[in-house]
Order: sequence, then structure tokens, then C-alpha cells
Amino acid sequence: MYRIRIHGRGGQGIKMASRVLGSALFHAGFNVQDAPKYGAERRGAPIFSYVRAARAPINERGTIYNPDLVVVADDTLLAVPAAGTLLGLDAHTVVLVNSHQSADTWRQRLNIDGSLLILPAGTETEDRAALPHIGATCAGAAACLLGVIDRDVLAKAIDEELAELGPDTVTKNRTNALAAFDAMADQRGCVEEGAAIAATDYVPPEWVEMPLDAARVSAPIIRASGNSVEVRTGLWRTIRPVIDYDHCKHCWWVCSTLCPDSAITVTDNTPIIDYDHCKGCMVCAGVCPPHAIAGEPEYLAQQRETSLTEREGTDATDTADR
Amino acid sequence: MSEQRINRMKDLPSTHLLGTGTPMCSGCGGLEALHQIYDVLGEKTVFVNAAGCMTLLSVYPFTPFRGSWLYTAMASAPAGAQGVRDALDILQQRGDMGPQEDLDVVVLTGDGSAYGMGLSATSAAMDRGLDFIYICYDNEGYGNTGQQSSSATPHAAITSTSGGSRGYPGYKKDLFSIWAAHRPAYVATVIGSEPLDLARKIEKARELKGSRMIIALAPCPTGWAYDPKDSVEIGRLAVKTGVWPLKEYIDGQLVHTRIPRERAPVEEYLRLQGRFAHLFTPATNTAMIAEIQARVDRYWDEVV
Ligand SMILES: Cc1ncc(C[n+]2csc(CCOP(=O)(O)OP(=O)(O)O)c2C)c(N)n1
Ligand code: SF4
Ligand SMILES: [Mg+2]
Repeated sequence: MYRIRIHGRGGQGIKMASRVLGSALFHAGFNVQDAPKYGAERRGAPIFSYVRAARAPINERGTIYNPDLVVVADDTLLAVPAAGTLLGLDAHTVVLVNSHQSADTWRQRLNIDGSLLILPAGTETEDRAALPHIGATCAGAAACLLGVIDRDVLAKAIDEELAELGPDTVTKNRTNALAAFDAMADQRGCVEEGAAIAATDYVPPEWVEMPLDAARVSAPIIRASGNSVEVRTGLWRTIRPVIDYDHCKHCWWVCSTLCPDSAITVTDNTPIIDYDHCKGCMVCAGVCPPHAIAGEPEYLAQQRETSLTEREGTDATDTADR
Repeated sequence: MSEQRINRMKDLPSTHLLGTGTPMCSGCGGLEALHQIYDVLGEKTVFVNAAGCMTLLSVYPFTPFRGSWLYTAMASAPAGAQGVRDALDILQQRGDMGPQEDLDVVVLTGDGSAYGMGLSATSAAMDRGLDFIYICYDNEGYGNTGQQSSSATPHAAITSTSGGSRGYPGYKKDLFSIWAAHRPAYVATVIGSEPLDLARKIEKARELKGSRMIIALAPCPTGWAYDPKDSVEIGRLAVKTGVWPLKEYIDGQLVHTRIPRERAPVEEYLRLQGRFAHLFTPATNTAMIAEIQARVDRYWDEVV
């Protein structure tokens, strides 16, 4: 049985990716299950979908804990533990990452011994209008890696699944997906079906036992105030608003009032963006009267910060050596 | 009534009470309005929230609120508010709670509840003169479940239950008038992209007693299909085109707090939103756009 998990962010077409892949596998003669994670998905939040495909009827249900293929549509998610991108990887799992970085970089950072492939990221992160197409592109690459889906079957699955979005969207997605399929030609068929799991081998997920107390004891009550700040929604961001303080006119804090997430606070008449929580909606950039806020793709901002700390790290060792 | 504090932009709060880290969408126009409203109402409030996107604000174990929050079924938030109000009153009568500790009871629901499922419970609460504030964030559809059409959905909008080349066949219900017909203490429309107008109205509501009813138009990047960065621009256009009239009902009088002298064509508002894309591609549906424009014009002809 093939077990495939696809990770991305709400709005990137991740559910669509699993539907395309599922349909293509179905047309290739497989029994198929495909589903998005059920929950409170929100645009920008980490989400995943999954596909199971087998020649025999599928009796497994629920989330995939032992994937043969993991597709990560947005490499910023690899650093987000809550996204669970690396859950259940073993030496046979193939990981496909849509990234601007090289495979070696990620293999090192993540300490992965299985195979890790890169689907070269385009400029999508700068142009959010292109984001919904990442899902189909990933599905195209994944279809090739499985080796059991033909090019025209992939095209047919896209035409069917995206039909309601209109011919322009279908064409764009089909073109992107087929290009990704072709780009993976050298690796065609590198994903191997995982072994069947016997019910006796089933390991229940870790959970907390809740005793059956009276409702007033056991019902979840939050005895805290404003503790949502513990949730780092800054990890949702694909574009980072940056304030150019030379141009900020210290107006009546338009950005702070209009930021939907209360993520801009004004101290001494100067607005400060809370990057732990800014989701990168970029509303602030649009409303700043002197246009003092500009967007920087998050992956570039993070690269800049990493190289900065790495350089600082080297400097520190240098000094210590001397 | 105490004197108004917020008269100019500079009076608007620059630090915010509502916690960051909520699960609402990036660019959510409803959250933008709520954080501004919460800054004015303050932490001596208890929120009664019907099922909808904003239920996710307080998902165990996290909450962005400083005070209490209670979850109710979609049709029942005003009934829940009655219970909380009664409990607060009884505690005070018994002397278990001082008058300084009193809280404002605030209902928070989407349009699906306010315009539809919860309208009967709301009507009854106003009939009883319930002392509460109702905030409806109106994203013109059942957002949390994937933007099905509601009775707040505007004519021609594409939702997950109204597709095709014509979109939603119905017309947005006039909830403001329905609420005002009950003669409650206060009814107002607001929008997050007009923060001064919003803050002044919320201040007014806070100082009054009785049923105080607020509808905030909530541009919704997910349900309306546009880039999150355009939330404020779309909100401003809703006001400039006259699609979303800013008004209040107080002391039996209807007052428009902003009358756009020269209204921008509705086309400017519609064009930015994917839910109206079928009005512009493959060909411009001039007849439908003219129909939408005519409805807006007719509204304002009666105002001025
Ligand atoms: C009686 C009932 N029917 C259906 C649902 C499922 N449901 C949960 S949230 C929601 C959408 C609510 O729409 P709205 O009030 O406009 O709030 P929004 O989600 O747009 O914020 C629905 C239909 C429910 N909770 N209760
Ligand atoms: S679906 Fe719309 S209303 Fe709901 S959280 Fe997202 S942007 Fe806000
Ligand atoms: Mg709604």
C-alpha cells in the first residue's frame, strides 16, 4: 500500500493536491482513500492531507503515521514542530520538499538518512496569487515519484478535480503539474509501497486518559487570561512586513489599529511588529500613509537571519581561539 | 452618559487588549473589528459566542480574552446572555458581588447566527429589554464551514452553495432595520477599516443600558476570495461605494454617520473580490453590475 502525506498551509491547495493524486491513482486502477486533516484549518495555518492507495481493499483509517512519501509544499513548515512534517519518517520514506534550498542543506538540518528530494520553488512566495497552484505542482511531482501514474492520467485527474474552478485555472495547474512530473523523471518510481500493517502491530496514538469526572470538574475551562500569546502564529507567515523607520512618520498608528492580529504595538510613538505573532497578511503595508512598510519573502528574511547568526557564531569562536 | 473620550484618530488605543496568537485567518476583517471593539469595551466583559469562526478564538487551552467566554449553539447566544446577565444580577442582589465587579455581557456571533438561526432568540431578548451588547461580525456567509450562503450574502456573490454565472440569487437581508424595529437602546453598523467611527459607536453603546446591537461588516479573504492584504482596501471601498452604509439608531432616530458625497461606482468594490469575478470574466456582465448599482443608488436616494 502507498501511504502519502502532503503538508502545506491553508490556501495553498493541499486538499486539492490529495484529491488530484487520489483521482490519478484511482484511474490507474488502485483503491484509494484521500482526505484533508479535519480541523479548524485557516488560511496560512499548517495543514496536511493524505492519500492511501492499494490494489487490495483498504481497511486502514485515519492519519498516516508511517508514510512512504511525504510532500512538503512549503519549506518554512519544516521548522514548525506542530506541523508534524517529519512524523514517522524512516529510512524507506521519500521526502519531497518544495524549497529554494538544496537537498544537502535540508538533509543536514533535519538529520534525515532517507532520501530527500527538492522540487525547486519558484517565486510563488513573493506572489501569493500563485500559491493555490503549489498543491497541483506537488501532486504532479509526487505522481512521477510513485511511478504508477502515467502523464495523461495525471492530466485527466487535474482536469476532473479542478473543473469547477474554470478553464484558466485548470490550464495553469495542468501545465505546472506536468512540468513538475517531467522534472522528476530521473527519480520516477523511487517511492516503494510500504508493508501492510497487521491489526496486532497497531500502536495506539499517545493520549491522555481523562477520568469520567462530573462535567464541572472535567469540562475544559481555561483559567488564564490572554494566554493565546503562547501560540506562535508568526510561523504562518510567508511574507514579512518590515518597517523602514527612516520613513515612518509616527502618525496616529494606522498600522497598529488596522492590524487584525493586534501584532503591532506602539511604544514611544514608534510601531513595533511582533514577529512571533504577525501572520504576514500585509494589511499594514497597504495602509501606511508614507508607504514605510515593505514586504520581504519570509524564506529570504530567514536566510538573512541564519547567515547573520552563523557569521556571529564564527566570529565568537575566532575570538575565543585567539 | 459620560463624555466621549475618543474624538480624533490620536485618541485611538495604540496598545491592544485582545491577545495575539488566535487561529483566525491571516487578514481576517472580523478580527480587525473585534480587536478595536475590545479595546473600547475593556476587560470587564463576558463574551457569549455562538458557533462560527470566532468560536475558535478560545479553543482549549488558549484564549485571547482577558475575561470569561462562553460557547453556545448557533441559535442560542442571546439566551445564553440572558442567563449570564441573570446570574450577575442575582450575585449582586445577594451581595456576593459588588457593583464595581459587574460585567458587560457581550454576544459575539457571525451573520449565519445573527441574520438567520439566532434571529428569533435575539428578537425575544430585545423584547425583554435584555441589558447586553450584541456584536455580529458579518462575513456574508457561513464562513467556518466553508462559506455557504447565508441571508447576509449579497446578490450575485459566489459561495459554496451558490455557483454558476449568476451567483447568489437572493438579496442581503436588512438586519439593521429588523433590529431597529424592536426599538432597542442602540443599533449601529461599523467596519474595521473605519476605526474612528467604530470606536465612537462602541463607546456610545458601552455607556447605554438595554439592548445594544452592532453589525460589523467583516471582509473575509477566505470566503470572499481576495489577497489578505486587501482587507482594509475592500472595507474602505464598501463605505465609499455606499454598499455598507455607516449609521446608527438611537433615541428612536436613524442617523447616517457617514454620507459619501460622491459615491465610487460599486464596480470598484466588486472587482477586487474573487466571489464577484464572474461579473468581469470572461465578459463583463454590465446588466448585473448595473442592477447592483441601482439598488445602492435607490438606498441613498431615500437617505438624502
Ligand atoms: C444548529 C447548527 N447548525 C450547523 C452548525 C455548524 N456550523 C458551525 S459554525 C457554522 C457557520 C456559522 O456561520 P456564521 O454565523 O456566519 O459565522 P462564521 O462562521 O461566518 O464566522 C456552522 C454552519 C452548528 N454549529 N449548529
Ligand atoms: S473564514 Fe473569514 S471570517 Fe472566518 S476567520 Fe477566515 S477571514 Fe475571518
Ligand atoms: Mg458568517
